[in-house]
Amino acid sequence: MSAARDFDVIVIGAGHNGLAAAATLARKGRRVCVLERSDTLGGMAGNFSPAKGVTAPRMAHLLYNLNPKVARDLGLGERIPLKTLALPSVALSPDGNHVVVEAGKARFADGRAHPDAAAFAALHDRLTRFAGLLAKMSENPPPGLQGSLLDPAKLGELIRLARLGLGLKRLGKVEMREFLRILMSNAHDLLLDEMGDGPLAGLLAADAVRGAFAGPRSPGTVFTLMYRMGNGGNVALPVGGMGAVAEAFASAARAVGCDIRLGNGVAGIEVADDRAVGVLLDDGTRLGAGAILSSAGPMPTLKLAGIRHFDTEAVRRLRHHRCKGSVAKINLVLSGVPAIPGLPVDLNRGRLVIAPSVEYVERAFNPAKYGEMPTAPSIELLLPCLSDPSLASDGRQVASAIVNFVPPAPDGGWTKARRNALLKTVLGVLEQYAPGLSGLVTQSETLVPPDIEALTGAPGGHWHHGEMGFDQVLTNRPANGMARYRFGVNGLYLCGAAAHPGGDVTGAPGRNAALQLLRDGVA
Amino acid sequence: MGQHDTYDAIIAGAGHNGLTTACYLARAGLKVLVVEKNDWIGGAAVSRSLHEGWTYSNCSYVCSLLRREIVRDLELPRFGLQVIPYEGGATFTRDGDYFAYLSDHDALRREISRHSARDADAYTRFSQTVIRQCRFIRPFLLRNAPDPTSLRPRDLQEMLYLGRKAHGLGAHELNETLRFWTMSIGDFLDEHFESDLIKAHLAGSGIIGTGLGVYSPGTAYVLLHHYMGDVDGSIGAWGFARGGMGAITKALGDSFTEADGTIVTGAGVEKFLVQDGRVTGVALDNGDEYRAGIVGSNMDVKRTFLKHTDRAALPDDFVTAVERFKIRGSSGKLNIALDALPDFPAAPKGAPFLRGDLHCSTTLDELERAYDDWKDGRWSSEPYFDMLIPSQIDPTMAPPGKHMMTVFVQYAPYDLNVGGVRSADNWDDIQRKAFADAVFDKIEQCCPDIRRHVVHAEIRSPWDIENEVGLTEGNIFQGELTFDQLLFNRPVPGYASYDMPIRGMYLVGSSAHPGGGVMAAPGANAAREILRGLGRRRAMPDHREPLGAEA
Amino acid sequence: MAKSAKIPQPFAVPIGLVPTPLQPRLEALSQAKAWAGWAGYITARVLDNVEFEYFAIRNQVTLFDISPMHKYRITGPDALAVMNRLITRDAAKIGIGRVGYAMWCNEQGMVIDDGTIFRFGEADFRLCCQEPMLTWLLDSAWGFDAEIRDESEAIAGLSLQGPTAFSLLAEAGFGDAVAGLKPFDLDEVEPGIWISRTGFTGDLGYELWCGWDGVLALWDRLWAAGGNWGLRAIGGEALDIARIEAGFIAAGVDFQPVHGAIRLGRGRSPLELGFARMVDFDKGHFNGRRALLAERARGPKHHLVRLDIGGFRPADGALLYHKKKKEVGHVTSGIWSPTAKRNVALAELRAPYGGAVKGDLWAEIYVNLEGQWDKRLVPVRIEDKPFFTHKRARATPPNRF
Repeated sequence: MSAARDFDVIVIGAGHNGLAAAATLARKGRRVCVLERSDTLGGMAGNFSPAKGVTAPRMAHLLYNLNPKVARDLGLGERIPLKTLALPSVALSPDGNHVVVEAGKARFADGRAHPDAAAFAALHDRLTRFAGLLAKMSENPPPGLQGSLLDPAKLGELIRLARLGLGLKRLGKVEMREFLRILMSNAHDLLLDEMGDGPLAGLLAADAVRGAFAGPRSPGTVFTLMYRMGNGGNVALPVGGMGAVAEAFASAARAVGCDIRLGNGVAGIEVADDRAVGVLLDDGTRLGAGAILSSAGPMPTLKLAGIRHFDTEAVRRLRHHRCKGSVAKINLVLSGVPAIPGLPVDLNRGRLVIAPSVEYVERAFNPAKYGEMPTAPSIELLLPCLSDPSLASDGRQVASAIVNFVPPAPDGGWTKARRNALLKTVLGVLEQYAPGLSGLVTQSETLVPPDIEALTGAPGGHWHHGEMGFDQVLTNRPANGMARYRFGVNGLYLCGAAAHPGGDVTGAPGRNAALQLLRDGVA
Repeated sequence: MGQHDTYDAIIAGAGHNGLTTACYLARAGLKVLVVEKNDWIGGAAVSRSLHEGWTYSNCSYVCSLLRREIVRDLELPRFGLQVIPYEGGATFTRDGDYFAYLSDHDALRREISRHSARDADAYTRFSQTVIRQCRFIRPFLLRNAPDPTSLRPRDLQEMLYLGRKAHGLGAHELNETLRFWTMSIGDFLDEHFESDLIKAHLAGSGIIGTGLGVYSPGTAYVLLHHYMGDVDGSIGAWGFARGGMGAITKALGDSFTEADGTIVTGAGVEKFLVQDGRVTGVALDNGDEYRAGIVGSNMDVKRTFLKHTDRAALPDDFVTAVERFKIRGSSGKLNIALDALPDFPAAPKGAPFLRGDLHCSTTLDELERAYDDWKDGRWSSEPYFDMLIPSQIDPTMAPPGKHMMTVFVQYAPYDLNVGGVRSADNWDDIQRKAFADAVFDKIEQCCPDIRRHVVHAEIRSPWDIENEVGLTEGNIFQGELTFDQLLFNRPVPGYASYDMPIRGMYLVGSSAHPGGGVMAAPGANAAREILRGLGRRRAMPDHREPLGAEA
Repeated sequence: MAKSAKIPQPFAVPIGLVPTPLQPRLEALSQAKAWAGWAGYITARVLDNVEFEYFAIRNQVTLFDISPMHKYRITGPDALAVMNRLITRDAAKIGIGRVGYAMWCNEQGMVIDDGTIFRFGEADFRLCCQEPMLTWLLDSAWGFDAEIRDESEAIAGLSLQGPTAFSLLAEAGFGDAVAGLKPFDLDEVEPGIWISRTGFTGDLGYELWCGWDGVLALWDRLWAAGGNWGLRAIGGEALDIARIEAGFIAAGVDFQPVHGAIRLGRGRSPLELGFARMVDFDKGHFNGRRALLAERARGPKHHLVRLDIGGFRPADGALLYHKKKKEVGHVTSGIWSPTAKRNVALAELRAPYGGAVKGDLWAEIYVNLEGQWDKRLVPVRIEDKPFFTHKRARATPPNRF
């Protein structure tokens, strides 16, 4: 055992949450080291180069839910440059009547008024307001029953709960009731109560379940929709790609003295006397620390420390941690800009969503449940080079497609043939909206859940490091008894998206975990 | 011109809840009238003779949830109600095996072990969790749901009760409870068991009557709606009402008439009469009118307010909320007269589990696919069924040597999809027959000679159930049991205390808290609220656990 | 799931209680015809007469069928790690060829069950207990290189207890093999027959283990040697008296195995049950350790104690009071001890009673005198020692009687 303390805190994983945690701790004067297995920063929020002269977002491609407190603490956009471009969302329609959503307002792409525009605006406004209230809960550990009232942390928790209650009260009785009704409802019913089924409702339904192993009829999908709208829900493209976000987080961490080491995989977490005291690297190096934060998934973290250090019930809960990845990411290099009939050229740069109806999205989920391949997936397509030409030279384009839903583990596994079949299916769907797109493809990468897991460590390749159903959020995220970042062994903390509040590029789990560690006074 | 009698209270609909409310009110000394559109009473708890010599429980078919406090208060055993526990159940596989749920504890362990040694202990953990949740929820059934948006003293008191119950669980158990209430029955079972067959056997209770699949969050809670009852204190046990489910409503009806209550059948409510925001009575479809300052509707909330109440008498937001209330038809029913007890080749002769609930769905995926069919407006090509032959135990149901079989089917859509058009009008005799064929095909999986023994079969689509019983879309719970429609949200936010926006008007059926099942709790709770409104709360027994007395 | 379509008749599994291999002998011996269920098997409550059977335990030697116990084998490279993760004491300190009493807890430090651990080799253990434990063991061993095997129906057991037990074994031809066995020693005395010097009576005694198929022959062999030593077959009721005298706790009686408890708060920790010595906080992590550490710091909420109860009436189920007024607990097991000639009991008290507060405790006993109930409040005293101990229980080699 390494008794020497090389750092106060070691953070495992240089994803945005790991970096947010590291920066938060370093700002408070802790000596922090971030260890990243791969050679690139950012985890899900990273760039890669699919071809010479082309930069593309590898997995996540848009920013919409960055926690403002994280941004403020890290100085993102101020001390640390991070430029983003607001993008419209476009709900593509098979009949060419595409719908554009910008700043909470919907219209047809050709400028005509959408019949559900008023209903959409009211719903968007309401959801944003509700989401804003819920977002307050993202900035602290989930509230619990633990602890005495005299404990200042408990008192703070009660005050925050009281504030949430007050916030609800301020909504007025009618809105408060609506909040309590829809909170646990499903996106399908909520949307179709307000508007007709079609691309506009489909867009929201697809947003509600992107990355989830659930269809819009599943209760709990209104919550996931609101979760993503916690900070307004408007989508933005980071200039320089998602990798720029990772770089910004890293710069913020480095600026306060964090030591970020890429290509340093952690082989084990050392535990002595029920306390995490250091890590063992793949190359055999030992690093001692007063505390360890892990942004890896709960089960990988548990295995790094050794199962024997955890109670059987805790292991059993994490064995059943719901983290079936349902997203495939397809990255294409195109020789030119694809034409989308019906869509004005300047809207090609928007977030293009193929989810022509709520029913379509629900149906897209069906095969994934049985390990079957999708036939008509829902797709979020982005052509980032249109907004940020610096990403590709020679007029080439990147097409970044998030595809829902794929089976996490089809029968017989993700063979080469299956990957090719998936690519073919996705191109087939894209062709319906952008005829000729396939002919422009010069290069492609198909990432399925096992790839995403291998590349980022996201458990099961799950987009949010674990399902965001009600049974797995707040005090049950990732599992009962482990929801406040403390991960069984003293001095071991979970700081990734598997912890509260959950997924998206928010930085909140990282920041919260770091603050919890500081409150606990372990390092 | 018809009659114009005046009563203290009128209840529209002689279902088990309506009769329960009526009984309590009559016993409190009110002059009470119950009106019923059908020529018989009972709503969905009826025994009907649709084929000479046979009695069908043609809607609800087994009993467990009926609150024991109500049975006792209203002296139902004195009026002939007898509930007999049944002896287990089984799920048959395609290859001639089965999983039997045996009432003998040791035998059940061995039977589970036969399919998976690991699952035998897991069943103990499963029961522990489920019974814990049932014990937690049972005290809430006979009290109002707390309204978190209200500052009325009684709402605050109910909130306090809820808070104390929740706090009493401790942080760990509270988290487990929140988790259980929001997870899917499929995930819950996957966490406990490895045998597909055992999972499939237990999963049915999570989806019966709902427009949700086994992997839809919230279905673990639906399971509770099938486990939170008891037979003589044995939580989760089910039984037959001797003489069919109509025995329950017959006893309620007799208890009511003995307390000087009046029942009028064969004439349904056409209109709830309202004047200056107050209910004044009901107008029946035969032209009769009855007056009362208190009117309770046993119809579901949609039917009550969207079909039989002047929209002008209702606040707009209330109407919108009622329109958005989800009552989805998802179940069908076959009631079958058999000329003999059919053979189940897989089962040993005289196996006690044949006298229980029988199924043929063997995996969770199969159940989930059955749900996918329903989402598309089709009945399940491999339907889940809950099939019983009560005449094996109850000699009153069929002639000697003959049998009555009840087959509850999940899923069947209300708005049937034929050629891309979804409409309840598509349910004609051809479709009905095709639906029955799909069910018979599935039954043949365990009972190959079933068709040969059929003397008569009543085929009930959701549309038929709606048409006869009056349940919107044929939904057996008078509204989906999802969290947006439970507790203070049932039936709609702000109106969870049985009193409706029209003064003097109450909702007494399963659209109200705590929801569906032949439980009679909504009826009893509504009666309590009506009497409270009259300043006579003590006129009926109060079964609410006092604050601080939690066991 | 490809299963053959064979249809067992009349049932795939037996309904009701099933016999152990010894049922033919017990059936023949039974005068009382008093049977009960034990883990799904038929067990004798009484064969002849409780009192005589009891005195045979304390005076001669008795034979009792313990085959219904659940038995699990834990083997493989990580077997020791699995055991140490499971139980609260240090399994490494149970030597090879030794048996150890152990408890195991859930994550909240509440006892799941207690039982005995037989160590056959460096990485070869058997767990013998009252509650079914297969799933829990599999869960505990998940991620470890260890194999869990349910031996419940493979291994049968006989409990031979009483002062002449050694003499009987000697006459049956096991004398050389067991003479050197100290309490809690275990040895394979003949191929397939294992004898451990263990028992549930606090007296000299052995448990004999063999294959399910061989136990009838083993019974007959002991029976043939028993004539000179007063051997008597007994039922569970007599044994229960002996175990209460010896101060042993019984699962489901003196504590509720937490996995079976429906109501919250029914679980009890080893510290509450008076087994702090069985909890080794220094051996590394084990299930429930963190919760037990917190409990140790906070103090237990209950105390399970031995009571000497005034009067001559057994106090089973009696409520206990402090200063005759405040209800502070209840008796979990109460008997008249025929050997100690005292009215004794195990009882659970709410802290601080039984811990810091030990005096002025009373038991409320209801006595039925030929149809008339009488309520008596009698003084109780907490005892530190078991009600029955005898040096012959520990002598090695054992005495002749």
